Amino acid sequence: MSQRRRGISRRSFVKSAVAIGGASAFAACTNREQVDVPQGTDDLSTLPQRQHAWNDALDRDDHGNVVAPRHRVVLLLDYVGEGTPSDDEREQVEHALGSLERAYARGNDGLLVTVSYSPRYFSRYDASPAGVELPEPEALAPFEDPDLDRPDAVVHLASDYGQVVLGAEQALRGEHESLNGVEMAASFDGVFEVAARRTGFVGRGLPAENQDVEGLPDGDAVDEDAPLYMGFKSGFEKAQASEDAVTIDAGPFAGGTTQHLSRIRLHLEQWYEQDSRYQRVAKMFCPAHADDGRVEGVGDNLGSDSGMDECPVPHDSARSKGMVGHSQKSAEARRDGSPRIIRRDFDSTDGGEAGLHFLSIQRSIADFAETRTAMNGTDVSDGSAVGTRTNNGILQYMTVERRGNYLLPPRAHRSLPRPDPAA
Amino acid sequence: MQRRDVLKASGLAAAGSLAGCNGLFETQSLRTVPLVEDRPDAVYVPSHVEGMEMIGMGTKGRRAVGLMYSYPHRFWTVTGTRTEKVSLREEDSVHLMATVWDVETKTVLPVDAGVTVDVRRDGESVAKRSPWPMLSQNMGFHFGDNFALDGDGTYSVVVDVGATSLARRGSFAGEFADPLSVEIPFEYEQATRDEITFEKLPDRKGSRDALSPMQMDMVPLSTAPSAGDLDAMTTATTESGDATFLVAVVEDDDGPYLAVSPRTPYNRYVMPLMSLSATLTRDGETVFDDALPAAIGPSLDYHYGTTIPSYEGGEELTITVDAPPQVSRHEGYETAFLDVPAATVTL
Ligand code: HEM
Repeated sequence: MSQRRRGISRRSFVKSAVAIGGASAFAACTNREQVDVPQGTDDLSTLPQRQHAWNDALDRDDHGNVVAPRHRVVLLLDYVGEGTPSDDEREQVEHALGSLERAYARGNDGLLVTVSYSPRYFSRYDASPAGVELPEPEALAPFEDPDLDRPDAVVHLASDYGQVVLGAEQALRGEHESLNGVEMAASFDGVFEVAARRTGFVGRGLPAENQDVEGLPDGDAVDEDAPLYMGFKSGFEKAQASEDAVTIDAGPFAGGTTQHLSRIRLHLEQWYEQDSRYQRVAKMFCPAHADDGRVEGVGDNLGSDSGMDECPVPHDSARSKGMVGHSQKSAEARRDGSPRIIRRDFDSTDGGEAGLHFLSIQRSIADFAETRTAMNGTDVSDGSAVGTRTNNGILQYMTVERRGNYLLPPRAHRSLPRPDPAA
Repeated sequence: MQRRDVLKASGLAAAGSLAGCNGLFETQSLRTVPLVEDRPDAVYVPSHVEGMEMIGMGTKGRRAVGLMYSYPHRFWTVTGTRTEKVSLREEDSVHLMATVWDVETKTVLPVDAGVTVDVRRDGESVAKRSPWPMLSQNMGFHFGDNFALDGDGTYSVVVDVGATSLARRGSFAGEFADPLSVEIPFEYEQATRDEITFEKLPDRKGSRDALSPMQMDMVPLSTAPSAGDLDAMTTATTESGDATFLVAVVEDDDGPYLAVSPRTPYNRYVMPLMSLSATLTRDGETVFDDALPAAIGPSLDYHYGTTIPSYEGGEELTITVDAPPQVSRHEGYETAFLDVPAATVTL
């Protein structure tokens, strides 16, 4: 534990069960967590038509902020067959997803799940999804060079319990006949194979528990209360778009949304060992928050609003303070006063590295790209003391390694949709 | 899957304990000298001077990247007008420095996009970070940080340089617009590191002066041009906050170009990452009043400038420093160029 070998191998890194996966991890979690996970409904017609309608099912904290499910598994799936899927396969996928919904109730203590599809999937039909712009992923900053993900589909599993995300994953892989006392009518076996598995966590205590990874200083730099590695609360109610606002409102995929998933590697040694608390608050929120001491601890005192109205416009901070905050810049992308994306991101130890899977949903991929452009702050750094990364929000501490774009259809079309399900 | 993890874990534990021993020896020889007492709010001679060693270089097209190292040492980051001292960590082995330059003109490029350094060994990343843009007295502008290595051995250092979005003049127009990556091998041995010169300066420390620039055959320094080097309609000089400002008006195709080139005293190094604005008045009337964006060119080097409506001679120019240079500072620069009042010159 105390050795100081640098690199991934220096740590006697203990992976969490969710990160490891597999049958024994599931058994270990089930043993340790000792909970009765509520079963889901028998009447699937009562479930929301929007796959991404999570907020009503999730808990709220004392300030009314949505409490993100603590454990996550994201599976990148390749369609096994040649050409386009058959109706039988469509039915099999729907049965598998329906079984998960019967097995676990929707909510923090149960399971939330979405399935989304890539441009490559739709290209099997030589088509694009009707009424939706779904571009292939691309680099979104002059200083990044991400690998581009091109699976057919992505499943996102979320729960406060490790055993639930693991159980659901195993069941989809065809390794459980029944789950939480409910028979699995089908699995993805023979239709999809898992091309990549990404895991993670978000919520008080978990980043501190998982800080023995590359990219963080040795020791206990991460606050016990922090929900994310960088040490601050995120996802304040007023800093997230509403589910209505991100929902596609017309065409055959109305009721769906788009999803962007990036893998970001975090380099937080400088953040914790070289930057001061003042600098961290200024770079994460805005210099005015740091000057006025507006953020206590991890930021619970902010309530339901990160206070962006009290930050000057980024250009002013850049010119007069020589620095600009991440939230302050990102808030420039707001439309009619509201952010355009819902962030459902989570931290990760995948690869033994401190990372973040930035999963967000928005009405169009353009909403994401424009938000990211605001976060790049290129217009802010041009003509001011702020560098492309230096003193420019949190850009110095992250590298975007992978990007992917997906259509997250409404529930009715979640299983191997045709490009025009109405036709 | 699981079994593999177990195997991997046990193999690594063994390697880890060996490295633990290396670490012990390494930390004993870290050299530290107390900071100078009563530092002036100006450039001063630091407590000691360290040499540095070239690790290697890589060239792609017009750009070269040089990588150097020295002992790990303290430095200061800057946000706004605040400095934050960065102390040594016991595990730090070297201070790595990267510099990027144009091979045709030997101009150092303080590219705004910065660099990312990945120190690798046996195909694994040992440390990866974006080093700070920095100023030091013996080397001028570079990117640097302290790195903890994994003991003696063969490393490979991948330096990624971002694309620049700075305004580029003359033969730099359209250049440096792509990111580039070079890989430089690094044979590290602590004993060799410890041969790098390290000299205390008991008599000179704290005096208002600076160490002399390092002379290196391969690597140019970020020296700003002197007035005599420029083909200008006029030049003038003023001082503020211990920085010198050379102002020049040069003839451009689309009108007179106003260039402000702040530089360090004694060594004439360029000063990147400032917010500057300028007000130009002629007979009491304002001719120009705006921010001056950073730009780089083969003759003016890194500076702040823009085209102005007209120049007749005798105008008064007020330079306002909205934010001082946000470059991190090596010892001897950390108290200077922070409080930089407006300065006026007649052109
Ligand atoms: C490296 C990981 C990141 C961390 C730790 C992080 C953290 C934060 C925090 C603490 C806030 C302010 C608190 C809140 O209101 O939620 C925030 C706001 C925000 N972030 Fe990030 N963020 C990260 C990456 C990103 C990325 C990649 C984007 C993509 C564009 C992004 C977009 C936003 C937006 C849109 C806001 C809200 C701005 C508003 O108030 O309108 N963030 N982030």
